[in-house]
Amino acid sequence: MMSCYLLDTLERLHSHLARVYQIVQPLEDVGQSAPPLVSPKGYFFAEQENLFVFDGECFRETLPQPPPFVLFGVQSCDLTAIAYQDQFFARDPYYQARRQQALLVGIDCVTPCEHGFCASVDAGPGVKAGCADLILHARPEGGWMLMVCSDKGGEAIRGMELDQMDDTELRARDRRIDDCIAAFPDDSHLHRGIAAISQGRVPDQQWQQLGIQCLGCSGCTTLCPTCSCYGTRDLSEDQGDIRRQRFWDSCLYESFQREASQHNPSEEAGERVRRFWTHKFGDNFAKTFGRYGCVGCGRCEQTCPGVIGVHSVMRRIADYAPDDDV
Amino acid sequence: MVSQTTTTICPFCGVGCGLNLHTEDDRLISVTPQLDHPVSRGQLCSKGWSSAYGVDLRGRILHPLIRTPRGFRQASWDEALTTIGEALQQVLNEDGPMAVGIISSARATNEDNYAAQKLARAVLKTNNIDHCARICHSPTVAGLKQTLGSGAMTNSAADIFETDLIVVFGADPTENHAILGGHIMRAHLAGTKLIVVDPRRTRLAKLADMHLQLKPGSNIALINALIKTILDNHWQDSEYIEARCEGLVPLAAAVANAYDGVERTTGIDLETIREMARAYSKASRAMIFYGMGITQYVSGTNNVIALSNLALVCGQIGRPGTGINPLRGQNNVQGACDMGCLPNVYPGYQAVADLAARDKFSHAWKTALPEQPGLTSLGMSKAALDGSFRALILFGEDPVITDPDQNQERLALSKLDLLVVAELTMTDTARMADVVLPAASFAEKSGTFTNCERRVQHVRQALPPPGEARGDWQWLAAIARQLGSDQLDWSDSEAVFREMAALTPSYSAMSYPHIDEHCGLQWPCSAETPDGTAVLHSNSFPIGRARLIPVHPTEIDESADAEYPLLLTTNRLHFHYGCGSMTRKSPLLEREIPPGLLFINPADARDLGILHRAPVGVRSRRGYLETCAMVSEDLPPGLVSMPYHFREAPSNQLTNNAQDPVTKMPELKACAVAVEPLPPGRVPRSMDQLNAEQGGIER
Amino acid sequence: MPRTMMSESAELLSLTPSVAELLDFVDDGEATRRYRFRLRDPNAMATPLPGQFFMLSVPGAGEAPFTFTTVPDREGIFCGLVRRVGSVTSALFECRAGDLVGVRGPFGRGWPMEQLAGQRVLIVAGGCGLAPLACLIDQLIAQRPYRELALVYGARQRSLQMLDDSRQRWAQQVPLFDTLDTATEAELGGALLGTPLELMDDILLRLGWVPDKVLLCGPEVMMNTLACFFVERGHSPRSIWLSIERRMHCAVGLCGHCYLTQHDLSHHYVCRDGPTYRWDSLQPVHVALPE
Ligand code: SF4
Ligand code: SF4
Ligand code: SF4
Ligand code: FES
Repeated sequence: MMSCYLLDTLERLHSHLARVYQIVQPLEDVGQSAPPLVSPKGYFFAEQENLFVFDGECFRETLPQPPPFVLFGVQSCDLTAIAYQDQFFARDPYYQARRQQALLVGIDCVTPCEHGFCASVDAGPGVKAGCADLILHARPEGGWMLMVCSDKGGEAIRGMELDQMDDTELRARDRRIDDCIAAFPDDSHLHRGIAAISQGRVPDQQWQQLGIQCLGCSGCTTLCPTCSCYGTRDLSEDQGDIRRQRFWDSCLYESFQREASQHNPSEEAGERVRRFWTHKFGDNFAKTFGRYGCVGCGRCEQTCPGVIGVHSVMRRIADYAPDDDV
Repeated sequence: MVSQTTTTICPFCGVGCGLNLHTEDDRLISVTPQLDHPVSRGQLCSKGWSSAYGVDLRGRILHPLIRTPRGFRQASWDEALTTIGEALQQVLNEDGPMAVGIISSARATNEDNYAAQKLARAVLKTNNIDHCARICHSPTVAGLKQTLGSGAMTNSAADIFETDLIVVFGADPTENHAILGGHIMRAHLAGTKLIVVDPRRTRLAKLADMHLQLKPGSNIALINALIKTILDNHWQDSEYIEARCEGLVPLAAAVANAYDGVERTTGIDLETIREMARAYSKASRAMIFYGMGITQYVSGTNNVIALSNLALVCGQIGRPGTGINPLRGQNNVQGACDMGCLPNVYPGYQAVADLAARDKFSHAWKTALPEQPGLTSLGMSKAALDGSFRALILFGEDPVITDPDQNQERLALSKLDLLVVAELTMTDTARMADVVLPAASFAEKSGTFTNCERRVQHVRQALPPPGEARGDWQWLAAIARQLGSDQLDWSDSEAVFREMAALTPSYSAMSYPHIDEHCGLQWPCSAETPDGTAVLHSNSFPIGRARLIPVHPTEIDESADAEYPLLLTTNRLHFHYGCGSMTRKSPLLEREIPPGLLFINPADARDLGILHRAPVGVRSRRGYLETCAMVSEDLPPGLVSMPYHFREAPSNQLTNNAQDPVTKMPELKACAVAVEPLPPGRVPRSMDQLNAEQGGIER
Repeated sequence: MPRTMMSESAELLSLTPSVAELLDFVDDGEATRRYRFRLRDPNAMATPLPGQFFMLSVPGAGEAPFTFTTVPDREGIFCGLVRRVGSVTSALFECRAGDLVGVRGPFGRGWPMEQLAGQRVLIVAGGCGLAPLACLIDQLIAQRPYRELALVYGARQRSLQMLDDSRQRWAQQVPLFDTLDTATEAELGGALLGTPLELMDDILLRLGWVPDKVLLCGPEVMMNTLACFFVERGHSPRSIWLSIERRMHCAVGLCGHCYLTQHDLSHHYVCRDGPTYRWDSLQPVHVALPE
């Protein structure tokens, strides 16, 4: 059972944490309803990262050394994505070097955001205990609930004078989260679409049709908090050193899989669009990671100029769902 | 870990999407879209997303460079400016102001462009000032100026969601104006009817309700037939014509025979023509978008006039969700025109030939201004070849790659006594310069861009210029000072804008704070319309009544024949821009270059024995290049297509420079070529290799 | 339910290569060379199995996957066959003896050596696809665990054949059929004219035995059509193996480039789960099995 305290102002928590941690607040306003356009994944899986340096004699690994930092006020969809990426990058030394330094402070959502559907994919709107070190919840009567859900979180607030809160508060929190879930708009297209994709019922022509609309802008993969593909390149430094850099890549680019011989297994745009959506809603991925890759943040819907964000796609393919899955 | 965010505008195309630049310790670390931007609404295309790579310091020119017999050497600004000043002065003394000129840049800010034309007119005393609109939309300016009185997009991006029918005519918006193209897709998916007229099967053509795959160069034949159909069936908007247009009778007479041979000329059957005529004239609101498939012909200006005729007879101009809307290529091509970087007009399209206008500027700038009309950029090249034009200042352009007929262009530049090029990186044109100046990128300066819907937007500085780089108006001012003039001595970009706005009626009510407040202002923005204008011509045209002007089909200058049996057209790829000097710095966009650059129909490929991705040689009357073939159903038989961004295989080796008589716009969209397969396994030789082997012109 | 925050158990990977020296190279057909490298630290790499691959970094140009034609010996010396196709291989072709490169590996799953014991094994390679099989063929011939072994090597034309001396050596031990898609009478020599698929009936007839196991490596179309050929003739999909090529940037299942599209939506990274696959595990990707 997590312990729960009453916090009068966020500033108090801020200044307490600031003694140890550099504070990073991705939201303009903790408590706003929409997640920030840019997901926090870049704090761990950097948009451009140096892997190693070759000095003419040796290859030297260049691990990042960030100071301890706190991501202050991250919503449940993004925290769920971080938990997903924690698994995916479990053995990636660069990711882990950043991740080990981070404290995660979650914030419960109590009103649905415009494109989000976390509740439909088990990723919110309330923060799950396993996804954060501390959780904040705004009390309608003023002040905040502060829940501690890891040792690291407990350690971080040690020394703060806080009053413990009882179960009734926690139950009130659950109620408010349930109310929020109930307030999300109809999501039947999502359930039907998920069934259609994960059962492989969407025909090739449908993907090809969607493929025509994909401009290969990389917006979806850049903003999606569970996208993780990267490319690499070598860059020459002034002193003659050479560094290998990795940078975010996108499986929607025509050249993503093109080989040096020009053979390209995913030459068709439709195949690439299918790849993206299978990665988000394929049952086999779910088997590996314990959940779907999509955490319902809705960013792809916002940013896709080709109108193939999640709601648009799901509406188009919902009809392929098996009938009993309504 | 803590980064700064600067909101600014994408430097790549005329859509003008809103960008956030995230910087950390004076380094650009990432780029994101602006959620609340009125046009882009949280979206970007691949170029926009990759713009962080484009300003990356790698390969940037950091210091002035002066040519020596052994290549370039680094120089101080003082030395570079002295060299430029002396050389300019010498040419001016010997041959007078017609021997010098400036080619400014549709990529630079309004402030930079204003400064460039002022340097030319008020300091060098020449009207030899131009920019690259010549190769995209000068026919638009010339055509719409005659028919409507204003050469800009009549409506706005937002209108795409307020219309019943969208006609895309000779434009490929999803590749060239991706976010607008996306809006068109979105509107179409939501039920708006979409008609595409294009020889190529573009992305929108694949989605459209109707695709008229007309033969290249047959625009006027088709449009006249559409007008005839409309008039014959009385589908025109007589009330509108009555109230707002003139010239219907001669137009009706001119299109009377428009059906003669039209099916053969255009490749479109009358039934389809009729269907389109009905759809367009009967739609309660219909928008036309057009692009280079209209303008890049010898008949470019007439093509524009024909489209304008069509829109006017149907009364589809002057209301939300209607209009005739040129899709302008570069981020600030609208602004460069507005700023008077054209040989015949001052800022705000005030004619040089008009004495009152000349007096106005002469008075404001307190100096006498030249009367003699200036040369266009191609005119400057021609004059350079015969030795009468000797000194050129050029920035933000790479005409060696982007202008038609590369070999002539190289030769012309090599004849100059002085070529000054200001650039971010060493382009092919910069390599030919006598003095190269380090320029600041969009992220390193402030100013304004005017997007294709006439929206003037604020570009904000996020980074200091690297090395000794300077913003364009700043180094233009330094050249002016070198010549003893303080005409360009402004304190900051805002001061340039204030001076410009005071002299430019359509910008007169604009200021930086006012622009910021409104997320950009659409001109005309004057005392009567202080918050700008979304829809032009609502009540009247700048010329009073709009003119219906009869135009007749003109054949393309160079058709396919026995020797050169295929027609070559040019296209653009959405992930590249202009000469590629910025976009190709992105490892992602660089990788996206298709393995083949000559797009060819499977039937033609089969006849010629060309396999997918196989090496080919392409020859026209003007040049030869080698590349690989992309066999694609998107082209009709008989037509091949090449993008023009790539210096390895620049299509402008081949293209025709036959020109539109009005605007001197070259016919880039059609020329005859012969294609032959190369031995399998042969790596196509790049232009540099071919030049070296054939002793091409190098300085 | 989301799982725990971080997998505590996992050992971290390294994406940093070990230094190796380019010892020398010999030309092998057109635009192909056999390179010898020596690891600076001979223990830098576990012993690879035939069919596994390594990542070669040419500093400044980048990294790409290659197969071992011979695995590192006690001094850390190993060979790889490289055809000049892209920027990394072009840069390697510019390197000289003594230049330093980076090596990571071995990666992926090798050929199923253990399943070949006592079997009649047919190996079919096409074009560059011979390279990932060379090491296996050498080991098989040295250890002779099989009952029968035969090789088919298809190339488009004479000049595109590779590993001439190895093939000559192998031909002395086991039946080897060279096929050429196009060739003049003079170029043909002892080779057969046609593709391996066109000639397969003929080859099987000449062999006089039916293979229990078929190993394929070459262009995907060739592997697919041959696999179908054998399945149609009653061979179990479980007796057919092939090796898949993909663009790779990490070789450890992180960068995502090498994914394999599966219609049954299972997800594979060729670097980690391949490059060798049994046909039945791939079959949904390519063509439906005959009922
Ligand atoms: S697929 Fe779209 S909605 Fe789902 S997590 Fe990714 S960006 Fe968010
Ligand atoms: S955001 Fe849309 S257009 Fe852009 S790459 Fe993704 S699917 Fe394609
Ligand atoms: S559409 Fe144009 S302005 Fe928008 S991001 Fe792309 S290049 Fe930039
Ligand atoms: S090569 Fe990176 S995932 Fe396989």
